[in-house]
Amino acid sequence: METIKNYLDNMFAALPKTVQLADLKSNILSNMEDKYNELKAEGKSENEAIGIVISEFGNIDELISELGIRKEEDINTIPLVTQEETDEYLAIKRKAGFLVGIGVVLCILGAASLILVYQLGEDGFIGDNLPHGAKESLGLFPLFILVAMAVGLFIFSGMHLEKYAYMEKGVQLPISVKVMLQQQYNSFTPTYYLSLIIGITLCILSPTALFITSMMGNDESTYGVVILLFIVSIAVYLFIYFGTIRESYSKLLQIEEYKPKKMTKEDKVISAVASIVWPLAVAIFLFLGFVYAKWGIAWVVFPITGILFGMFASAYSIITGKNDN
Amino acid sequence: MISSDVIRGYNDTIILYFLLDGESYGYEISKNIKELSEGKYIMKETTLYSAFNRLESNGFIESFYGDETFGKRRTYYRITQAGRAYYKEKCEEWILTKDVINRFIKEWRV
Repeated sequence: METIKNYLDNMFAALPKTVQLADLKSNILSNMEDKYNELKAEGKSENEAIGIVISEFGNIDELISELGIRKEEDINTIPLVTQEETDEYLAIKRKAGFLVGIGVVLCILGAASLILVYQLGEDGFIGDNLPHGAKESLGLFPLFILVAMAVGLFIFSGMHLEKYAYMEKGVQLPISVKVMLQQQYNSFTPTYYLSLIIGITLCILSPTALFITSMMGNDESTYGVVILLFIVSIAVYLFIYFGTIRESYSKLLQIEEYKPKKMTKEDKVISAVASIVWPLAVAIFLFLGFVYAKWGIAWVVFPITGILFGMFASAYSIITGKNDN
Repeated sequence: MISSDVIRGYNDTIILYFLLDGESYGYEISKNIKELSEGKYIMKETTLYSAFNRLESNGFIESFYGDETFGKRRTYYRITQAGRAYYKEKCEEWILTKDVINRFIKEWRV
């Protein structure tokens, strides 16, 4: 009996899931079941009965042309994925979240080490035997090494995700997989919120490092910045790692903002602005550092840019968003 | 077994025949077809349900849910007035067709 049901499921798998077709399918199924039961009652073996029932099913194309429907793959190109694919996608996404998270942490630690090495040099802990100019730039080594490692991680994880790019555009899930993913997503949600709370708490508490060290003295406050950045990097890691996992579920289940949609005009404008503003911030940072040797304070360019850019992005969305409604 | 190509134009007529005397459902009709044709014609599921769909959208039959029996809710069909008229028309067409085709048929006595 299960064989017949599976056979029919396969036959109807490529067809749109409409009420009419579901009705039709259940009618045909009950028809086939009646036939099967009667064949069994006549003394046919299980295999014989199933063979006869399936051979008398006919050709699904006949129904398709009669009902004037096209197979789903003809209507749209949304792919139907299997559980193996979603499992692998989730695993890779989790790994990517880990790698990108570590990468971003390395970037932040790069900035922190720049400041740290500079201040250690100022305080005479390291690099005393180096010429003055070289000592100033010593911090750039850990910065560049860490950033290079981070870029490597970004590219590496991007390469792995490439294969699953189609998953991000919205896929069709078999019901069983969808139910399973929904359960996983629901049980993951508390973990996600916990990570969010811990991350935000860390961010809020991070300036205390600055307050405490600045009470100890002006120079010590630079170490405070290093500690602040370190704490923030942990928070950022939490946001990225758990955020990526959540995002992978949301994309598969097409929750909230991940419903397949085209990039809107405002998204394009914002990302265009971002591609100018952020390199500009880096340029200003390096300029202040190299030309004025203000490594200790130049980093404020990033939080300031971040806040200003955030303001711009949300203001722009609100202003242009009005037209859409 | 009869090739389904030959019989295609008369699947609807065959189904309507079984509905003339009262409502029926898919399996009963397909079983009756097999019995009455002495197993010479077995209507495939897809053919049967294509025909139901076509007949219903042409207004020749109506479908409705029967009472639940053994946990199954069957879809029953009943013929309409238009269906009866169509059936009659097809019968006349067949008599004519049969008459014409028969003129070109040689019967081989083995």
